[in-house]
Amino acid sequence: MNAPISTRSALARRSFLGLALGTAATLALAACGSGAPVTAGGAAGGTVKWGWALPTSWDPVFSSAGWDVHDLSLVYAGLTKLDEKGDAVPALATGWTYSPDGTTVTFKLRTGLSFSDGTALDAAAVKKSLDRGRGDAKSLVAPQLVHIKEIAAPDPQTVVLTLTQADYQIPNLLAGKTGMIVSPKAFEEDAAGLASRPVGAGPFTLSSYTQNAKAVLKRNPGYWDASSIKLDNFEIYPLPDASTVVAALQSGQYNVAQIPGSQVAAAKAAGLEVQVIPSLVVAVLDINPTKAPFDNPLVVQALKYAIDREALLKTQQFGFGDVSYQPFPKGYVGYDAGSADLFPHDPAKAKELLAQAGHPDGVELTITTTSAQGLPEQLQAQLKEVGIKTTIEVIPAAQATQIIYIQHSRALFTDQFAGRDSAPQAFQVLFGEQGLMNPGRSTPPELKAAVDLVSRTPLDSPDYPKNLQAATALAVRTMPNTFLYSVPRILARQKTVSAIPPYTVVQRFEGVTAP
Amino acid sequence: MRTLRRTLRLRTARTALPVLAAVALLALFGGALAPQDPLAQDTAQLLHAPGGAHLLGTDYLGRDVLSRLLAGTGDSVAGAVEAVVAAMLLGIVPGIASLWLGRVFEWVSLRAVDALMTLPFTLFAIAAVGVFGNGLHQAMLALGVLLSPLFFRVTRAAALGFTQAQYVQAAELMGASRRWILRTHLWSKILPTVAVTTAHALATALLTVTSLTFLGVGVQPPAPTWGGMLASDLGFLAQQPWAPILPATLIMLTVGALNLLADAVRDAGAAGTEPARARTAAPAPAGRPHRAGPTEQPAPKEQADAPLPA
Repeated sequence: MNAPISTRSALARRSFLGLALGTAATLALAACGSGAPVTAGGAAGGTVKWGWALPTSWDPVFSSAGWDVHDLSLVYAGLTKLDEKGDAVPALATGWTYSPDGTTVTFKLRTGLSFSDGTALDAAAVKKSLDRGRGDAKSLVAPQLVHIKEIAAPDPQTVVLTLTQADYQIPNLLAGKTGMIVSPKAFEEDAAGLASRPVGAGPFTLSSYTQNAKAVLKRNPGYWDASSIKLDNFEIYPLPDASTVVAALQSGQYNVAQIPGSQVAAAKAAGLEVQVIPSLVVAVLDINPTKAPFDNPLVVQALKYAIDREALLKTQQFGFGDVSYQPFPKGYVGYDAGSADLFPHDPAKAKELLAQAGHPDGVELTITTTSAQGLPEQLQAQLKEVGIKTTIEVIPAAQATQIIYIQHSRALFTDQFAGRDSAPQAFQVLFGEQGLMNPGRSTPPELKAAVDLVSRTPLDSPDYPKNLQAATALAVRTMPNTFLYSVPRILARQKTVSAIPPYTVVQRFEGVTAP
Repeated sequence: MRTLRRTLRLRTARTALPVLAAVALLALFGGALAPQDPLAQDTAQLLHAPGGAHLLGTDYLGRDVLSRLLAGTGDSVAGAVEAVVAAMLLGIVPGIASLWLGRVFEWVSLRAVDALMTLPFTLFAIAAVGVFGNGLHQAMLALGVLLSPLFFRVTRAAALGFTQAQYVQAAELMGASRRWILRTHLWSKILPTVAVTTAHALATALLTVTSLTFLGVGVQPPAPTWGGMLASDLGFLAQQPWAPILPATLIMLTVGALNLLADAVRDAGAAGTEPARARTAAPAPAGRPHRAGPTEQPAPKEQADAPLPA
């Protein structure tokens, strides 16, 4: 019925409509931060739905983020893997032996191994896969493999690596992305396809993948350690939004998820289990010493003293983690106790150093970041107190790899280092001349020598911890990288999922059960 | 002026105007009224509840929320005003000019306006920021370009009716200049229509500014804005579930008041403008000599130029 309406009621209705529109638009805006719609119900038994992060590529040779190793470890296996503490243990290989001078390492493979595409995983396949990582012109793992001179496969169960120098880190190195064995058939037929259709011999196989949305994996019955994998299915989702992660866990959208420190109390209150797993991840500022004002080392020193790391840890992490001046967390073999309180918050000293550097009236600086909220804002306020005037430059996360890791065109970038499988590998990434996080592209010769000594020291030698810690101590005193605090892996899970084993370096899911 | 007086008599306008006046005051003097430095961090007072030294509590860096809300009004409102002023300049002037500058200009400007109307506000502003660098001016001028078709269409449609009114044609015949006609006959008549459009456009622009700052485009932290505060508050819902209500309420009240005002002006103006339009369209009253002619008929092709929903 279209009854005539009086002017007055029409007016009232329109006024109400106007208000309602304003309200609705505001509410829609408020809801912008919410994540994907909640999916109803749970899937079949034995599925972990992991709110974590999707990889930059499923091809270990071209994956450009250290973080990807957690995802890639689900579909690939290496000759070795890391145990919970970060030491190399046998995986596809049953063991390895070094020659007395440390320049040759021989791996013995398990028998009857195969890739998920059905082809045999023998010594010849291992050689082809590792050679691709070393030889491909665009390989991102090649710098890690420079100590390998030659790979030989004298019989189907034996792989012999001849090295350019003694390097006892090879078993650790091969446990990560660097050593993931890819099916030669897959990369010979369609190398580009590996980025979205990985073929390995890991605990799971990727059955469907939608970029930026979801990866669905199925248990691989052919995995060498398949009896330890209790899950039938595994789903990986992009990093959940802080504001919705607890609700998404309660609703069953995820049953395990990475949460920020700010959500720990809420997750516990919601009846979820929370695990704080120490990890190798550390918040760090990538400093370019070839860019002003950091071309004067005294300014770098001033920066290191100007930062109040305790305050950063408290606000950014809600206190989860530790203040850190070095790349390794307390308890890791490379942790140097002598650098435990290397650059305490000392604004007076920072000002003094700035004055010595010729900036008694302060200095200007640009903080480059992918998100201005949080750490950059707080750094800006802390640096202002010592006279460092900063502007915050936000670059799109999608361009950060290009701008920061390839062009090295910024003076200061707020970054996180995800840790590496081997300590010298971590040094290479952070401080090496080709290191992604060394924008200055130079390394002092004494640091190179110290890292070299670490590589030459057998891991079971009593000198190993001493040599590694000496390299750490030297690096944090000579390099501009400014470490802030360690970032533990905080996983919240539904009670129906069993405890997640606390792996320091790469998260693994052996023994985990889920409904 | 008559429309304005009629508007003030409406209850909705009397509700909306004080709200808008208060927002305008905050936009101008909010920074000075702020009880504390909106940027001062205090890590000893993170995410405090309202009370004591902080009337509305503190945020995730220990900053005073009340001070940030007051200081944040300026940027949010100034952005919306900048976009609408740009849209008025880009829309009204060509809108009126298109009546006189010949068929080619008319055709070109109408097609350009049609093309601009297909673009979404937020995406276009983000693209502009991507090309010209991150800043509120870049985003707002881009938004102004996108809002200008609204003013173009509305002004043109309103003016088109009046140019065919007999008294305008009489003035033309008596040799009045276009400027004189524009000033004396047209401008005061289309002003209420422009006022309605402006209020609606301000509401739209304010929501877009808020969306952009919510996304960190235009104004970025630590500078306070309503949208930026809403975005950061959502990350700490577990600690302060009520916090997003504060900036959201301000946004809602302002946008709602602008929409109410637009409605009120339209309702007040309807009495003044619609009969005028009806006079041009209606046949001359019986009893007088009926003067038939093509100029009597409003051009049917322009019906598509009716005011568009904001």
